[in-house]
Amino acid sequence: MSRTRSEERSGWLFVLPFTISMMLFFVFAIVRTAYYSFTDFDLFEAPSFVGMSNYTALVSDELFLLALRNTIGFSLIVTTTQTVLALALAVLVNHAVRARGLVRTVFYLPSIMSSAAMTLIFLWLFQRNGFMTAIVSVMLAYRQHILLFLVGMAALHGALVLNARRSYEGVSIFDPFFLLVAAVGALALAVSCALAGLLSVFDNNLPISWLNTQRHFLFMPVTLWSVALMNVFTTVPTLMLLFLAGLQSIPSSLYDAAEVDGANAFQRFRHITVPALRPVTFAVVTMGVIGTLQMFDQVAILGDAAPLASRVTLAYYVYENAFPEGASSRIGMASAAALVLGILTITAVYVQKSLGVKEKGE
Amino acid sequence: MLFRPGVFVAATMLCLPASAEETVRISGWGGSEVAIVNGLLTNVVAEKLAKEGIRVKYEPVDGDYSQIIINGLSAGTAPDLFYVDTFWARSVFSAGQAAPVTSDVSGFAANLLTAFTYDGKLYSTPKDFNTLAIHFNKDIFDDAGVDYPSNDDTWTTLQEKLVAVHKSLPEVDGLCVVPEYARFGAFALSTGWSPFDTRGKTILDERFRRAFGFYTGLVKSGAAVMAADAGHSWTGGCLASERAAVAIEGAWILSALRDSAPNMNLGTVRMPKDPESGKRGNIVFSVGWSVNAASKVSKAAAKVAELLTTEEAQQWVLEQGLALPSRTSLTDNPWLRGGEPEQIASRVVLEGLSDDHVTPYFFGDVGGSWMQPINAALNSVILGEEDANKALQSAQSAFDRMLAR
Repeated sequence: MSRTRSEERSGWLFVLPFTISMMLFFVFAIVRTAYYSFTDFDLFEAPSFVGMSNYTALVSDELFLLALRNTIGFSLIVTTTQTVLALALAVLVNHAVRARGLVRTVFYLPSIMSSAAMTLIFLWLFQRNGFMTAIVSVMLAYRQHILLFLVGMAALHGALVLNARRSYEGVSIFDPFFLLVAAVGALALAVSCALAGLLSVFDNNLPISWLNTQRHFLFMPVTLWSVALMNVFTTVPTLMLLFLAGLQSIPSSLYDAAEVDGANAFQRFRHITVPALRPVTFAVVTMGVIGTLQMFDQVAILGDAAPLASRVTLAYYVYENAFPEGASSRIGMASAAALVLGILTITAVYVQKSLGVKEKGE
Repeated sequence: MLFRPGVFVAATMLCLPASAEETVRISGWGGSEVAIVNGLLTNVVAEKLAKEGIRVKYEPVDGDYSQIIINGLSAGTAPDLFYVDTFWARSVFSAGQAAPVTSDVSGFAANLLTAFTYDGKLYSTPKDFNTLAIHFNKDIFDDAGVDYPSNDDTWTTLQEKLVAVHKSLPEVDGLCVVPEYARFGAFALSTGWSPFDTRGKTILDERFRRAFGFYTGLVKSGAAVMAADAGHSWTGGCLASERAAVAIEGAWILSALRDSAPNMNLGTVRMPKDPESGKRGNIVFSVGWSVNAASKVSKAAAKVAELLTTEEAQQWVLEQGLALPSRTSLTDNPWLRGGEPEQIASRVVLEGLSDDHVTPYFFGDVGGSWMQPINAALNSVILGEEDANKALQSAQSAFDRMLAR
C-alpha cells in the first residue's frame, strides 16, 4: 500500500512541472480568452461585458468569413498533399540502397531552415518575373516537346516492360533500367522532332502574379496556393522522417511472406505498409491539421507583398484584431476569433480521428 | 540593422552624481534613429541633463515599435518617454496612456501640433517630420537627354519626362510605383479630394477617380514599372539600384542612398501639380515624444522631451542631415539654403509641409485598415486584373461597410 502511494506521489512529482506550465500557459490562457471574448477590451480600459456581440460581429465580418474559408481550404490542401508526399518520399528513401544517409540529409534540409528565411527565399522565387514564372513560361513555350517526351517515354517503357515479361516473370513496371532507356529514347525523339521543325515553340511573355494578386484558383486565392506550396516544401521532410521510422519498424518477414504468396509491389504497399503505418499516419495528419489551421508566420512575413484578402488566415485575423495598424486593440474580437480557431482545430482532429485515420495499427 | 541591447544600453547610459538623480527610460526606433538619439544625448543635451539631475536610459527598439509600446503600456512596463507616430497616436492618446504636453510649443509647425492633438489637448512634442518629394538621378536624365523634373511639373509633364527616359534608355524605368495610398495619396489630395468628408464618410468621387486613373495608368503608358516587378519593395530601392530614374519618397531616402548609392547625382523637386486644379497635395509623416501617463518620473521625462526638441537640438539634427526639424524658426537655417543634394532634398521636403492640400498620415479610429480598399483597387488595376470602374466600386462598397460600423 505504502509502495503504491509512494509510486503515485513520484508520478505526480514527475508530471508537476508540466502540469504547472499547462495550468499557467494553456488553461489560464484559455479561460481568460473565453472571458475576454464576451467583453469589449482595448488592453487599457477595464473590460466591459458585451454578451455575444463579438461573436455576432464575427459572423457578419467579411474578413473573418474569408479567413475561415481560406484556413479550411489551406488546411485541406496542405495536410493531404504533405501526408501523401511524405509517405511517398519515405518509401523512396527507405528503398535507397546507396548513400541512404546523404539522401535523407538532402531531403531533410528544407526542414532545418528557419521559416522566415524560407519565406524570404520563396518571396524571391515567386516574383512576377522570378524563377517560378520562368519555369511555367518554359513549360508553356515547350508544351509540345514536353508532351511528346512524356508520351514517347510511356510508350517506350511500356513496350520494353511487355517485351521483357514475355521472357522473364516478375519484371517490375518501375524497373529503373527500362525507365532510363525509355527516358533517353523519348528525349532523343523529342530533340529529333524539334530539330526537324515538327514542333512549335509558343510565345508567352506574361509575368505571373503568384503572391501579389487577388485572383482565385478553385476555392482558394492564388496567393495561398503559393504559400501552400512553400509550406509543403518545408514540412514534408520532417513528416517523411516520421514515416521512415514507422517503415523501419515493419518486420521484413511480412513482406517476404506476401511475396511468397505472389503479392506484387502495390499489393504489398496497400495491405502491409499502409495498415502498419496507421499510428504514424494519425500523428502526421494530426500535426498537419493543427499546424495548417494555425498558419501565421508565413502569411505575416508576406506582409504588404500580397493583398490582405488573398492571404488572411484565422490566426492572422486574430493578430490583426489584437494589434490593428494605427487603431486601438480589439481584444474581444481577437479572443472570439481565437476561440473559434481553437474549437475548429479540436473538431478537425476529432473528425479525422473518428472518420479518417485510425490511431491503432493493424 | 540588428538590435544589440547590450551595446546600446551601455553606450547610452549617462552617468550623474548618484545622490539627486532621477532615471528616465526613453525609447525610439532602431536603425538610423539610434545615431540621432545617441548623438543628441551625448553631444547636445548631456550637460543640461546633468544640471537637471536626470539620468537617461535609452532603449531603442527594432521590429514592430507600436506593438511593443502598446504591449508595454498595457503591462505597465513601457518606458517613461517614447516615440508616437501620428499613424497610431490615437490609440495611445484615446486610451489615456500619454500625459498632456505642458511645455511651450509655440515654436512648432501648426499642422504638426494638430496631428498630435486629441480631444483639444496636445499629447506629443513633434520630434521631426517628413513629406513626399520627387527624388531623381540627374545622370540618368542627362544620358537620356531629357529635362530634369522641376517644381513646375504637372502630372502630365512629369509623366512625359518619365516616358521619354524609358524610351531613350529601355533598361531604365521612369518610376517604380507601389500600389499604396502612402504614395498615391499625394496625387489624390492634389485634386482637392479629402479622405473623409464633413460627415466622416469616404467618397471616391470624380476627383479621386482622375488621380486613380493617372496613377494606375503610369505603368501602361511606359512611365513606370511595379516596384515588385523590378525586385524592390519601395520606390527608393529602384532609384538606388538605378533601375528607375525617379522615386517618390520622404527625406528618409537620404540615409538609404548614403549607404547604397553614395555617389548618386541626386536632385529633388516638389510633388507635381494636378494639371486641372493647379494644386499640389502631400502627406505628412510625423513622430513625436510622448510622456507615459503612468510614469513615476513624468516631470523629468517631460523635461527630457523638451531638451530633445529644443531649437539647439533640432539644429544639430538638421546639420547632421539626419532629420527635419519640427520648429518653424529653423526653416531659415543657413544649412537648409546650401546647394548640396542632401540640403536641397531636406529643403524641398520641408517646403512640402506648406503644399496646397496636406493631410497627416492618419485615419482616425479606423487606423491603417482604411487604406486597404484603396490599396487593393490600385493593385488589381495596375496588375490588369480588374478595370478601374469595377475596382473603385468594390473599394467604395468596402468603405461604406467599414464606416457604417
